[in-house]
Amino acid sequence: MPAPTTPQLTAYELGGFWDEMFGADGHVREHYAPLAGRLATLSPQDVMRRQLAAELSFQARGITFAVNQDPNGIEKIIPFDLIPRLITPEEWHRIERGLEQRVRALNLFLHDVYHDQKILRSGLIPPELILGARGYRREFRGVEVPRGVYTHVVGSDLVRDESGQFFVLEDNLRTPSGVSYVVENRRVLKRVWPQIFADYDIRPVEGYPQDLLDVLRAVGQPVASEPTVVLLSPGVYNSAFFEHAFLAKAMGIEMVEGSDLFVDDATVFMRTTSGRRRVDVIYRRIDDDFLDPLAFRPDSLLGVPGLLATYRMGRVSLANAIGTGVADDKAIYAYVPTIIKYYLGEDEILPNVKTYVANDPVERAYILEHIGELVVKSVNESGGYGMLIGPHAPKADHDEYRRRIEADPRGYIAQPTLGLSRHPSWNEDHLEGRHVDLRPFILFSGDEVKVTPGGLTRVALRKGSLVVNSSQGGGAKDTWVLA
Amino acid sequence: MLCRVADDLYWMSRYIERAIGVSRLIDVTRHLELDAGDVDFWTPLVPEGIEVTGEIRFWLTSDETNPSSLVTCVRNARALARGVRESISSEMWEELNQLHVSLTRPTSTRQVRGDTGGFHRLVRERLQHFQGLADATLAHDEQWHFIELGMYLERAHGVAMLLRRQGHLLTKVEGGDTDLVKWLAVLRSAGCAEAYARFYALRIEPARIVEFLLLNATFPQSVRFSLTRATESLSAISALREAAGNDPGPAPRTLGRVRALVEHSAVDEIFESGFEEFLSTVQSAIAAVSDEVTNTYLRDQPQAGRLVGVARAAVLMAAQQQQQ
Repeated sequence: MPAPTTPQLTAYELGGFWDEMFGADGHVREHYAPLAGRLATLSPQDVMRRQLAAELSFQARGITFAVNQDPNGIEKIIPFDLIPRLITPEEWHRIERGLEQRVRALNLFLHDVYHDQKILRSGLIPPELILGARGYRREFRGVEVPRGVYTHVVGSDLVRDESGQFFVLEDNLRTPSGVSYVVENRRVLKRVWPQIFADYDIRPVEGYPQDLLDVLRAVGQPVASEPTVVLLSPGVYNSAFFEHAFLAKAMGIEMVEGSDLFVDDATVFMRTTSGRRRVDVIYRRIDDDFLDPLAFRPDSLLGVPGLLATYRMGRVSLANAIGTGVADDKAIYAYVPTIIKYYLGEDEILPNVKTYVANDPVERAYILEHIGELVVKSVNESGGYGMLIGPHAPKADHDEYRRRIEADPRGYIAQPTLGLSRHPSWNEDHLEGRHVDLRPFILFSGDEVKVTPGGLTRVALRKGSLVVNSSQGGGAKDTWVLA
Repeated sequence: MLCRVADDLYWMSRYIERAIGVSRLIDVTRHLELDAGDVDFWTPLVPEGIEVTGEIRFWLTSDETNPSSLVTCVRNARALARGVRESISSEMWEELNQLHVSLTRPTSTRQVRGDTGGFHRLVRERLQHFQGLADATLAHDEQWHFIELGMYLERAHGVAMLLRRQGHLLTKVEGGDTDLVKWLAVLRSAGCAEAYARFYALRIEPARIVEFLLLNATFPQSVRFSLTRATESLSAISALREAAGNDPGPAPRTLGRVRALVEHSAVDEIFESGFEEFLSTVQSAIAAVSDEVTNTYLRDQPQAGRLVGVARAAVLMAAQQQQQ
């Protein structure tokens, strides 16, 4: 099908990147044809009107995040781009299988590093990389977790390169966020632009909260036959607070803060108006470090004193488990294909992005020499912080990162600068290509791995930018997995 | 339900009811001024010991240093609702959030300044809509009872307060047309001029007004009606606590005593024994009930997190949780 001749798309440039909607010769990809047809008939005023309606809808529903960590500060909405991102059933099938394989292997890896530590003796991964990871919790060696599940909820970031191949850029195995936007983006798009849904058969995403509740109840079984599940939030000033409230409401469970819980007689209770009530499963959205001031950071205002001792005794379940950060450490990430091969005897279905680990002297030398071409990342940061994009950064930053890497080689990795795929995105009165990634959400109950058919497509709305994080000017799109 | 959630719902509800009362008072006083403009009706509305620079109407409407201004009440209610949004219905949250958004828009300041009633009426209607949504979209279980308790305690307290602040309108009888205007203003401040007319079908006079606002058993803005409803909700709440084997605390008894006092008083006796004293007794009893409810139901144990300066804690907490 030839590209539609429409004012919004005539000046559209592919820029040498993989475009989700257009092939390299400028033809519309088959699954995008009905959407492209609709776009061709739209006036810019129509799109802008719907765009405004979407923004008002997010504002009215209070789907916002706090800016600048200021209690009185403004709450902002995440910019929403109306044009949905489409994924074919074949692409999705491969993503689903690849993520399932990854999550199963990483859970076996976590169980191993907290029990027998066979992989340390295998010589496949330098032991100091694992034991020296900031996310490794030696105190939890030997502690059994219900059903052997460490990561009940995972959000992995996928990107496509210039050839259209999907890669895993990173795994988020601690407290991944964003799933509420998957559901809300769909709901808002249906409200402001119902017509475009008519051309497609799209898999629903609304089942996520129920699937999550099933997983949480399953891991509570060893503690109680009808477990009481709560969501532990850092509170209203946290930037993901909307998501915590959204999930608690959809699951019909209490959302608690640290001060609502206390430990007595090796049991976790919540303070209720009719007295104490026992808690069996905690879906915690607080990092390990702040869960229990007695065990980890004593200055934590968010945690529950005595929680970890109770957990260790098996009298309360936590999701995700303690110590999963060792497996999403960016230096360990480089070894995930090795981990898959070691525990499952399989080749990886979704490849990793080539990664240089600064801890290795040969790779470090390569990084220091080619820093201008690479993306350098601190292994302990997330959210787009602690990152150098070599080709876009001034020379002074290159030198600064060289110094940092030499001072702390374990703390850094580097990857080639990827030409992330692009997607037509609305820009004032026409469409332009913007770089996108994809964060699917994966639930693991010990038996089944369930990947919600959809995901958060984050889009770098600033022209030329490669950073999709909402804290750095990124927006979001609704993501359609076609049936 | 969680103590923190109950606490926030209770205060959310009190702020909503307080905002409705303030908006009505401003409306009525504006109209009173137009009818009988030679008297300063605004100064008696400011509590003793508070200096207001600028117009009292704006201090009551939007001054952020006034903890009971209309805008402050809406902002507080909305902040509390946001923290417990998983516990209230989406309809309630969206109504309050949208009202807050519209009040914080720059154009709303102009509305406040240029307007003689439409603005306050609009805000009041949306707040009353919110109260209606609470009734229609929540199960009438424990959390609804905390919302009811907050609303009716605030209303009873507010009407007693109103009678104290507008007492001068009722007691200084000058003869002539302006008396009636002032008396009607008192009825309208409590939103009950029409109900009064239906109930008595008589000339308006101060003693009947006081009787209606304090002692009427069927009108929802009266002190007696409010205390009856508050008692029903507190009984439901304390029964749950007792069923769990815990002490219901002194609040049900204190509330029962003040309710009995109001129920078994006659307006002549109240004037004989002292109108001011009666109102003051009712107000302090309601304040005591609120404190006792807080101690028994809303603070299971001292909460360390709440003792730290909230703003400081907020910044620390936000910094302590980096997003993945």
